[in-house]
Amino acid sequence: MNRRTFLIGGAVAAACNRGPRLNIFNWSDYVAPDTIPNFEREFGIRVRYGTYESVPEMLAKVMTGNSGWDVIFPSAEYIQPMRDMGLLARLNHDWLPNLSNLGPQFQQPPWDPGLEWSVPYMHGATGIVYQKSLRWTPQAWSDLWDSRLAGKLTMLDDPPEVFAACLKTLGYSINSGDPNQLKAAQQRAIAQKPLVRAYLNAEVRDQLIAGDVAAAQAWAVTAAQAIAAASERTEGVSVSKLAFLFPSEGFPRYADNVAILRESTRAESAHRFINYLLRPQVAAAIVETTRTAACNGAAQQYLPESLRSDPVLYPSAEILARGEWFAPQSAASQRLRDRMWTEIKT
Amino acid sequence: MKRGLAVYAVFAYAFLHVPLLILAVFSFNSSRFAVWERFSLQWYRAVAHDGNLIESSLNSLIIAIVATALATIIGTLAAYGLWKRGSAWLSGSMYLSLVTPEIVTGASLLALFQWVFRFAHLRLGMHTVILAHVGFSLAYVVVVVLARLRSYDRTLEEAALDLGATELGAFYRVTLPYLVPAIAAAAMLAFTVSIDDYVITSLVAGVDSQTLPMVIYAMARRGVNPALNAVSTLVVFGLGMLIMLSERLRKT
Amino acid sequence: MKLRNIFLAPTAILMAVTMLAPLAIIMVYSLLTRGAYGGVELPWTIENFTRLWDPVYAVIFLRSFWIAAVATALCLVLGFPLAMFIARSGSRKNLYLSLVILPFWTSFLIRTYAWMFLLRDTGILNSLLQALRIIREPLSLLYNDGAVILGLVYGFLPFMVLPLYATLERLDPSLLEAAADLGARPRDTLVRVTFPLCAPGIRAGAILVFVPCLGTYLTSDLLGGSKTVMIGNLVQNQFTASRDWPFGAALSLALMAIAMVLLFAARKRGEEML
Repeated sequence: MNRRTFLIGGAVAAACNRGPRLNIFNWSDYVAPDTIPNFEREFGIRVRYGTYESVPEMLAKVMTGNSGWDVIFPSAEYIQPMRDMGLLARLNHDWLPNLSNLGPQFQQPPWDPGLEWSVPYMHGATGIVYQKSLRWTPQAWSDLWDSRLAGKLTMLDDPPEVFAACLKTLGYSINSGDPNQLKAAQQRAIAQKPLVRAYLNAEVRDQLIAGDVAAAQAWAVTAAQAIAAASERTEGVSVSKLAFLFPSEGFPRYADNVAILRESTRAESAHRFINYLLRPQVAAAIVETTRTAACNGAAQQYLPESLRSDPVLYPSAEILARGEWFAPQSAASQRLRDRMWTEIKT
Repeated sequence: MKRGLAVYAVFAYAFLHVPLLILAVFSFNSSRFAVWERFSLQWYRAVAHDGNLIESSLNSLIIAIVATALATIIGTLAAYGLWKRGSAWLSGSMYLSLVTPEIVTGASLLALFQWVFRFAHLRLGMHTVILAHVGFSLAYVVVVVLARLRSYDRTLEEAALDLGATELGAFYRVTLPYLVPAIAAAAMLAFTVSIDDYVITSLVAGVDSQTLPMVIYAMARRGVNPALNAVSTLVVFGLGMLIMLSERLRKT
Repeated sequence: MKLRNIFLAPTAILMAVTMLAPLAIIMVYSLLTRGAYGGVELPWTIENFTRLWDPVYAVIFLRSFWIAAVATALCLVLGFPLAMFIARSGSRKNLYLSLVILPFWTSFLIRTYAWMFLLRDTGILNSLLQALRIIREPLSLLYNDGAVILGLVYGFLPFMVLPLYATLERLDPSLLEAAADLGARPRDTLVRVTFPLCAPGIRAGAILVFVPCLGTYLTSDLLGGSKTVMIGNLVQNQFTASRDWPFGAALSLALMAIAMVLLFAARKRGEEML
C-alpha cells in the first residue's frame, strides 16, 4: 500500500484501507517480537508500528495534533506537560479491566494518581555497572571520582542523569533547581571529566562486554542486558563478569507509560491494545525479550525464576526506597542546566 | 607518475572499503557480539523474516531512486540556467540549503508541513519525505554540474546555434553530452545523501514511511546488531551487482 | 519565456518550499520565547540573539570551524590523487567511481560502528599491534579529536572526489603532454596546469565537505565520545534534550550567517557564488 501512497496522495490512500487500524509509536526495542503480530491476529486490527529514540523527538511529531499516531509511550515526567498541552485523551477504565494487574506501587503513581491519562508500562533505575575484576567494589556515586578508573569510566550522555549523580554525591535531590546546588554539581562533573573515557548511553553495553570499560553509569536495562551477555555457565550456575549496584546515596528512577493521543479517532482499538499489554503473559513475554521491569505486578508469576529474582530488574523494596522519580523542570532551571551542560562539554 | 597513482588508489580504496569488509565478515558470525565465533547464516535468515527491515529497505530504495531522479533532472537544468546567467537569490538559497544544519531543516520542514496540512487535510508520508530529499540533494547536483560547466567552452554552443540549432536543441545535442560525467557523479551523490539520511527523514516521515536508516537507528543505538550488518551487506552487494551489470550492458 | 527561466523554474519553486519557507519559520522561531516543553510561544524577544554573546559559544564555534577545516584539507589531499586516478582510467572510469561511493550506501551508523570496532581498546587494530608485539598496552585510538577527524574524512571523502573527478575528467591529456613537451617537470605541470584548470572542482568539493562537516553531530558523539560539543551538537541539543527551539533557531542562524560570509569570501572575484 505505502508504495502507492505517495503517488495517490496520503489522504486518498488512507481512505481505501479496509478493516480497523491502529498506529502505535513506541520507544525502540520495547516489545517482544510476537507482541504486535499476536495482537493483530487476535483482534483483527492492522497495526502500523513506529519507533522513536527520545521523548522530544516524539513530542515534535505529535505536538500539532495531526501526526496520525494513536498510541504513544511517554516517560513519567512528560505526562503532566502533555496533558497540559491537551495532547492526551482521557482513558476509559471500563475498557481496561486488566488495570488491576498493575503492581501496587503503580496503581496510584505520583505523576498520574488516578491513571486518568496514562497506564504505567515499564520502569527502571540508574546505577553503576562495573567489572568484577576490579580489585575494589564501588558502592556509591562518589566512587566514580576514583582516579583508579581513569580512562575506563563512562557516564551517560544525558544531562539529567549526570546532574543526578553529581547532585546525589552532594546530598541534594536529583530534581534540584537551586542555582547554588546546581553550580556545585557542575563543579563535580568538571572535576570528573578527566577520568571519563566517553559519555555513552546504551552503546556502552558492547564495550562493557568486551572489557574496554571498567565502570559505567548506566540504566538498569542496559546493565541487565550486558550482565546476561557477559555470563558464563559453569557447573549449571551462570556467573557474569559484570555486576550492577544501586548507589548508596540514592538514585534516579524512571517509568514509561502508555497513553492515547487526543487526535486519535480509534479510541476503542487503542484501549483494546492497552488492555492487551496489561495481560500478565503479554507483559512477561516483553520482559523476557527486553529485560526491562514491568509495572505489571501480575506478570511476575509468568517470569522464569532467574528474571523474577533478578536484583537488577526487581530490587528489594528497601533499595527502591532510596530511589527518586524524575520530575518536570521549571523553564528557568532547565535553562540553567542546559547552559551548565554546555560548559561541562567545552 | 601513473604507477604511483595506481598504488595510491589501492590504498585509498582499502581505506574506503575496510569498514564494509568488517561488517560483511561479521554478518556471517554466529555470535551476537563483535567477537568471532563461527560461520553462520542466521542473521540473513533473521533479515528474511523481519518484515519491518525488508519493507523499510524497499521504502528507502524507492525514496532514494525517485528523489535522485527528480533532483538530478531539476538540478541539471538549474545548473545550466545559472551558468547562462547567474541568479543571486537562487544560488544564495542553494548555499543556504547546504549550510543549514540537518536538524534545523528537518524541524522547520516538519513545522511547515504540519501547518499546511492542517488546512489541506494531508498527512506526513512518502510524499513529504521525497519532497524533503529532493530539496536537500538538489544543491549537491547543482554544485557538481555547475563546476563542470564552469570549464565548458561557450563557443561550442554558439557554434551549434550559428548552424541553425534551436536553443533547446543546442543544449540537448551539444551541452548535455558534455555534462554526462558530472551528471553521473551528481546523481551518485544525490543517491548517497538520500539513502543515508536519518535526521531530516525521521522528522518528516509519516506513519507509513519508515526508512532503513530509521529502523537501523532504532535497532543499533543499543549496540551492534549483526542482522543490520547482514542487511547492509545485502544492500551494498545488490547495488554493486546492478552497477556491474549496467557497465557490462553499456559496453556491449 | 526564455529557456533559462523555464529551466530555473522548478528549482525556484522547490527552493521556495523546502528552503525559504522553512527559513522564514526559523527566523520567526528565533524571535519567540521557548515553550515550556518544546515548541515556541509569544512574546516576541531578541533575547535568543543576545544570549549568543557568550565566550562559551565562541569557543565552540572556533573549535568546530577548525575541525571542519582540517577535515576538508585532508579530504582534498587524499581525494585529489584518487580523482586523478579515476579520471585517467579510461573505460573503467564509471566502475572505479562507483567503487568510491559504494561503501556509503550502507548506513552511516553501521559504518561508524565498524570504525569503532577497528579502533577501540580491544579492537582489531590494537589486537593486531599487540599480537605483533609492537605495543604492549592498547593505544587510545577512540574518543579523541583524531578519531572525530578520521570519521569526518572517511565520511566526506566522496563529496570531494566526485566533484574533482567531474572537472578532472575533461582535462585534455594533450594539454599535459604539451606542458611536458615544453619542458615542464611533472610537478610544475600539476601546479601550473592541472590545479588551475580544475579550480572549480576543488572549490565545489571544498564547499560540499566543509559546510556539512560544520553541522555534523553524530560523528563527534560516536567517535569523540560526546566529550566536547561542536556547533552541530549544540543546535541538535536545543531541538531535542533542551527543548529550546528559539535558541536553537538563533544558533543555527548565526552558524548559517558565518558560513555564508565565508562562502562569499571564498568565491572567485567577479564570479557568481556557486
